[in-house]
This record gives sequence, C-alpha cells and structure tokens, in this order.
Amino acid sequence: MTLASDSNPTYDLVVVGAGPGGYEAAAHAAQLGARVAIVEEDRVGGACLNVGCIPMKTFLRSARLVAECRNAAAFGVEVSGVRLDLALVAQRKDKIVGTLTRGVEGLLQRSGVDVVRGRGVLASRSSVQVGDRTLAARNILLATGSRPMVPPIPGIHSPSVLDSTSALALREMPQSVAIIGGGYIGLEFASFFAASGVPVTIVEMLPRIAAGVDQDIASRLAQSLKRSGVTIRTSCRVTAVEGNTLRFEEAGKADAVTADCIINATGRAPVVEGLGLAEAGIEFDRKGIRTDDLGRTNVPGVWACGDVTGRLLLAHAATREGLVAVNNMLGRPDRIRYGAIPAVMYTHPEMASVGRTEDELKAAGIEYKKALLPMGVAGRYLIENEGSPGVIKALVGARHGEILGVHALTDLASEFIVVAAQMIEMEMTVAEVERVVFPHPTVGEALKAAVLAAA
Amino acid sequence: MPTPIEMPKLGNTVEECLLARWLKHAGDPVAEGEPIAEIETDKANYELTSPATGTLLATFFNEGDLVPVFTNVGVVGTPGDDVTQFRQPPPGAAGGPEAGPTPTLPPGSGAASTPSTAAAASSPAPGRATEASASISRPQASALDGQGAAAAEAASAPLSPRARRFAAGHGFLPAPIVGSGPGGRVLEADLQRLYQESARPTPLARRMLAEGYELRTGAPGVVRAADLGPPTKKLSRAREITARRMRQSLDSTAQYTMSTSADATGLLALRSRVKARAAALGLPDININEMVMFCAVRALALRPEVNVELVDGGIRAHEEINIGFACDTPKGLLVPVVRQAGRLSLPDLARRVKELTQKALGGTLSPDDMAGGTFTVSNLGMYGVETFTPILNPPQVAILGVDSITLKPVRRDGAVVFVDHLGLSITCDHQVIDGAPGARFLATVREQVEQIETGAGLEL
Repeated sequence: MTLASDSNPTYDLVVVGAGPGGYEAAAHAAQLGARVAIVEEDRVGGACLNVGCIPMKTFLRSARLVAECRNAAAFGVEVSGVRLDLALVAQRKDKIVGTLTRGVEGLLQRSGVDVVRGRGVLASRSSVQVGDRTLAARNILLATGSRPMVPPIPGIHSPSVLDSTSALALREMPQSVAIIGGGYIGLEFASFFAASGVPVTIVEMLPRIAAGVDQDIASRLAQSLKRSGVTIRTSCRVTAVEGNTLRFEEAGKADAVTADCIINATGRAPVVEGLGLAEAGIEFDRKGIRTDDLGRTNVPGVWACGDVTGRLLLAHAATREGLVAVNNMLGRPDRIRYGAIPAVMYTHPEMASVGRTEDELKAAGIEYKKALLPMGVAGRYLIENEGSPGVIKALVGARHGEILGVHALTDLASEFIVVAAQMIEMEMTVAEVERVVFPHPTVGEALKAAVLAAA
Repeated sequence: MPTPIEMPKLGNTVEECLLARWLKHAGDPVAEGEPIAEIETDKANYELTSPATGTLLATFFNEGDLVPVFTNVGVVGTPGDDVTQFRQPPPGAAGGPEAGPTPTLPPGSGAASTPSTAAAASSPAPGRATEASASISRPQASALDGQGAAAAEAASAPLSPRARRFAAGHGFLPAPIVGSGPGGRVLEADLQRLYQESARPTPLARRMLAEGYELRTGAPGVVRAADLGPPTKKLSRAREITARRMRQSLDSTAQYTMSTSADATGLLALRSRVKARAAALGLPDININEMVMFCAVRALALRPEVNVELVDGGIRAHEEINIGFACDTPKGLLVPVVRQAGRLSLPDLARRVKELTQKALGGTLSPDDMAGGTFTVSNLGMYGVETFTPILNPPQVAILGVDSITLKPVRRDGAVVFVDHLGLSITCDHQVIDGAPGARFLATVREQVEQIETGAGLEL
C-alpha cells in the first residue's frame, strides 16, 4: 500500500489500461511484492468486461434461451408467447458487468495496486503522465487495448451504422440487421439477432465467413446460421452506406441491402495513438506495438500485452501475455506459447478451437491424421440438443500422435475446449489421452472420441 | 555381488571400440571367460569375455555403438542386483540425451523387449512401450514415469519422509546424491531443487527422445518438442571408411598442391571430332575426363618416379600403371581402378572407365575393382572448379585434379588472344616427390594434353 505521505514514489510497475491484460498483470505483480500502479481513464475491466465479451455473452445467453423455447416442443415442452425484451436483457447485463467490475476493483485493492484515474501517456521511457501527475516507473506495461475499426467506406459515420459498443447499447430490437464483416464479432451479433427472430444479412469481403477457422467447421457454422435465418453474402466488397442502405459489389456487380440497423463488425484496431509511443522510440504501427514472446517492446523497461500488440485480440491471450511480461520483468523467466491458446465464437451453436487448422498443417507441410465426428457420438450431446448439426474435428501428428488441433461446433464447446488446450500445451500424445477419463455422459466425451478416432 | 563388464583398451592408440554384436543378452546365464560380445577396433575384431559367472543383468550399449575404452558395457551378477551404479555417463552428455542405453523401441510396439536401461533392470519393466523412458541428463537426475524412490534410495543417502513423499508424488528418480541434511540425508528441498533443474520431457518430447531425437537447447525444466532436434545420423560404413582414409592421408603425408593450365584447343577439337564421328567408327564417346586420364597415364610412363608408393619407409616402384578415378556415387566417393592402363589405347581406356563408372553408380563394384591403384585422377571441372586441392590416396604419392576449361589471354604474334585452357592441379607427397620433380611431372601432363590430337593416335 502506498502511504499518504509518500505521494511521489517510484513504482516497480505502472500499467496503462485496466482491461483483462492490465488488471491481471497489475494484481499478479503486486502479489509478488512489486509496487504497482494502474492507470485507467474509463471503468476497470476494459472492453471485454464493459463493452465486449461479457455483455455480448449475456445477450447471447438470452437469445439462446429464446431459441431453446422455440425448439422446446422437440423436447416435449410446450412454451408459448416467447419474446425477448432487450431492455430487461440489458438490465441483467448491467448487473453482471457491475458485479464483475466490483470484483476487479476488489482484486486490485486487495493486491495493493494503486488505481490512478485518468489517461496515461508515456512521459519518458520511465514515467507515465496522468493529468498533472507523473508516475515514475522502473517498468511500464502498455495494455491500452483496442477499439472498433472504422474502414474507409463512404457513409460509415452515418448514425444508422453501429459498432459493437453501440449495438450492445440498443434498448429496442431492430426490425432487421445488416452486418459488415463475417468474423467473430459479426457472427456473434448475427447469431444473437437471428435467434431473437430478427432477419440478418452478413456482408463479408472474403470468400467465406469465419476466416481462420477450420474449413470443415466454418462451412457447417455457415449452414447453421443460414438455417436460423441469416443471409450470408461472401466475396462482397462494401462500397457505401446511404441512410439505411448498405451498398456492395459482388464480382463487379452492384448490390445492396436495406436494414433497420447496420453494424460495422470489421474488426478492432489497437489503441496506439496519443500514448507518446513515437516520442519514447517504441516500435509500433497501425497493427500494434511490436513485442517479443516475453512481452518486451524494443525499449528496455517498456512492455506491452493484449490487443494493443495486435497479436491475438483475445481477452485470455491478453491476460497470459500480461502475466508473462510481469514474470519476466520480476526475474521469473516465462514465455508465451500461442499454439495452445483456444478461441471461441459464442454463436449458436458455439465454435471452439485450439491449435492448428487443417489448412495450416497442409501449408506447413506437417503430416497429420484427422477425424471429423458428429457430436452425436456423445450421448449427452443427443440429450442436450435436438436437430443440431454439431461436429468435432481432431488433428493428430502422423508420426508421434501429438494433438495438433481440435475444432468443435457445438454448444458447450467453450467449456471443454480447454481440455484440448491442455493436451496441446502439455504436449500429450494419443497414448496419454487414452488414459484420461471423461465423465459419462458429457458432451466433452466427443473430444476423446475424436482424438482416438484420428490416431 | 554384481561385476561390471568393461570395454578393454586394446592397444596404445585405441580410445574407443565398436560394439559389433551382442553374443549374450540381458537375462542370459554366462560363465567366466565366456564370450559375450564381439568388439571391433579400427584394426581387428575381438571377443569380449565375461569377467564372472552369473547372469548378464544389463547391457548399456546397442550394437553399432562406439564405446570409449574403460567404460562399462554391461553387468554380470545375480538377478535382483542393483546395476544403476555401474552405468556411466557418456562423456560430454551434460544436458544431452543419453547416447547409449536407448531401449530403441518404436512407439506402440508392446512391452520392452530388452531390459537394457538401468531403470528397467532395477524395477518392474514398464508395462507399455509408450512409457519406455528415454531419460535425459541422468548424471543430475531423471524424472521418469512410474519409478518409485526406492531404487534411488538404495544407492543414495536415506531420504527424509517428506523427500520420499515428494519423490513418489513426482515419479522422480534421482541419481545417487548426498543430501543437505545431517549425515547427507536427502531432504525434500534437495529433491525439489534437483527436480526443477532436471529435464522433464513432455509426453511428446519423451516419445521423440526414445526415437533418438536430441536435446538442443539444454535448458532445464520442462523439455518440449521444440527443444529437440532430429537424431544425429551415424556415418554410413562407406562414409566412415572415407573419413578415416582422408584423416590418415593428412596425418601421414606431406601434401602440397600445384596448379597449371594446358592449352585445351586440341583437346576440344578432338572431343568434337569424337562426338561427330566416333559412333560411326565403332568407337566409344570418349569424353574430356577420359582423354585427360589417358594423358596422365602417358605422363606416368614418361616419369615413372611418380608411379610409386611409399610403403614402410621405402619406395615401391610399379611396372604397371593402375589409374584410379574418383567417382561421385549415391553411396559417396568411390575410386574404381583401371588396371594396366599403360597398355590400353585411348578407346580401350575410355571403354574401361565407362564400364567401371556404370558399376560404381549401380553399386556393383567389387573390392578388386577398387584395389591396386598406383595413381589417381579426380575431376571437378564439370562443376566449374578452377583449382582445388586433391587429397592423396596413400600409399600413392600423387593425385591429379582436373579443373574446368576457361579462357585465358595468350600473347600471340604481338597481339593478345583468348585461348581455352584446362586447369590441372597436382597434389604430391613431399616425402617422396620434391617440388621440382612434381612440377616436371605436371609439365609433362600439360604437354600430353596439349599434344592429345597426335598423342591419342586416333584416325578420325
């Protein structure tokens, strides 16, 4: 704890940004005995907690409930008059965000981290300016995160265009939605609105949605979304937004879609402006601050983690990156391994994956064996789902039987993908997986079945 | 009382012996004086005999391993004896995977077929091949699956109860150590330190180590697949012989190399005439290399002092010119020999060279085809090499290197013209051939090359 009289201490660590990268790192460093301050101009918790993952998942949970009610007859349950009240959903979201935000504040306080309110700017390589206050620091961890990217499209700034933050602030259901971008954010919004009964059109520039996701999984996710009422337009370049009309080109042919609201989900850009990076000589570009696997920037004593590095743009990756940086700055050698960080799309059904995709293995020339199983191999999946096309895919090294990648499309995938992540992180081979007992009946049993089927 | 079997020192200069073949295997009864293995120095084969009567408890090396002298290769004793103490770390193995006692089991191949590791010999054999332990850095400690602390404790100072619990909980088998407790008692902290410092392979890394992959980074702690590199390949038998001969050549001779170049106008003219007409005349397609070999043979006939060998401090002259030529084959360098080359016409020499080259490439050369050479030619000209240092093939005293043909400015009739020249490099053994006689021989070769059109005696 900082004494009141000690108003101008030299901190072991000053963290700029209190999102999942920054606040976990600050608490960790303080728990290891370092003197730590964290600077935040908004609410603690970052985009994830306040305007990203947590609110989105709260919305999706309600939407899934609606979808389940619609499908309740298949489970022998009669439900009628189902209606999603967005204002009430938002209230519940605010309650959850409030609880979690207080949790983060409590964690920082218990750990003895000084929380400094305001905008943190690098004053030098060893100090951070917050308003008129200068925080001297032996180490600085930049964790300023990202904000929605705004592509250079005419009309993109019109009021009918929402980004993920403003879309989550809607208090009334729109009549129809058009989404620019078929990535993680766009597909989650699509899933939310479709499940709530709102017609959705996705306009994606690439030839397929969910770029980076294994082809077998992405194509089935696309089918599933289409069945739930989502129109997917791929290989389409958005040319303009005019009022409520989204104009685009498909193979040179002009087309358009008109919707009650248009959501710009083209991705997130790291927050690198106005931080004094160039003045401090820190290497960065619009894709982020350059860091190594230890979390170091090119300037000694200045570290970075999370979305601002432009690496994975996942909350849990940011947290791990922050912890790795702290460990290294405090003399505990650590290194991040990106190969075992899972990714989840909270669509309905969920997509969860870890490790390499089949295309990546082919490109790298790695010999592999694979299995693509229907999730129905797990009895619990059949119990939990009715008429849902879940699949799971396992990729295993041809020679040594190590787990190279697992990709699943099924609800609850986010809860069991960590088992696959652990298999990869610990470099388990099929022989070890054989010995792991999965409880029966669980949805996750399909994971073991897929790995063994691939071997 | 277990007795180690030591690799004997079979000569003053012998530092290591090849373990050629095990005649007995772990578990076999052996009598004192009974041969248990065939070993091989660079000069001869021997039988390694058992130092005692009993059971061959463990073998620490595989067939084909090079074993330093005075190293234990196995242990004879009574079943149940602890053999761990006799296993010696291979030199320079710190941090590296153990070179010798690999169970060499392919993954998933059932139970261990030979209890050749100390771990397997001193505790129940692992039930599954996938658990076969490729231990690393044994001098420090080993983290092995399913190994209790009991075996370690037998050879080590006693473990404290907490240390024993740690050992059991971590499946950690330390090598014998002296602990920091009273009387060398091993404390939990000692084991924790050793455990942290020792290499702990992930399951994938362990499997790869069992396949012979090697630790490259040497970092302690968790060893991942990324820390490993592919197994070091053993030299093939042929490569090993070549390597030894090359070393011996540089060790036992006083080599020096000189280069010159010969006007290749006649050589190229003859070559183009051969190309155009040889087939019609029933002659072989004689190439530049064969022509140069022919020139070397004629030079040797003119300067017989080069066609000699240095044997046992004496000079052995040869009446016949048996000319070897270096041949690049899929199995490496081979040197077939054209015998009695001095008696062959250029077409006959060319036929013989082509025949031997085919055999060399096809792997069907007999030892006789490569024996008895008195001089050697090595041609790298086709790769554009302009000069190089051929290595002598002792006891021969000279070797001719053939380089590429390049244009060289020549003063002619008050002007400078560019003329094709063939580079020639000769390595001689100064023990026998001084600089001047070496240079005279090289000049003779050059003259022969420059006069090939008449010297070849071909009607084309």
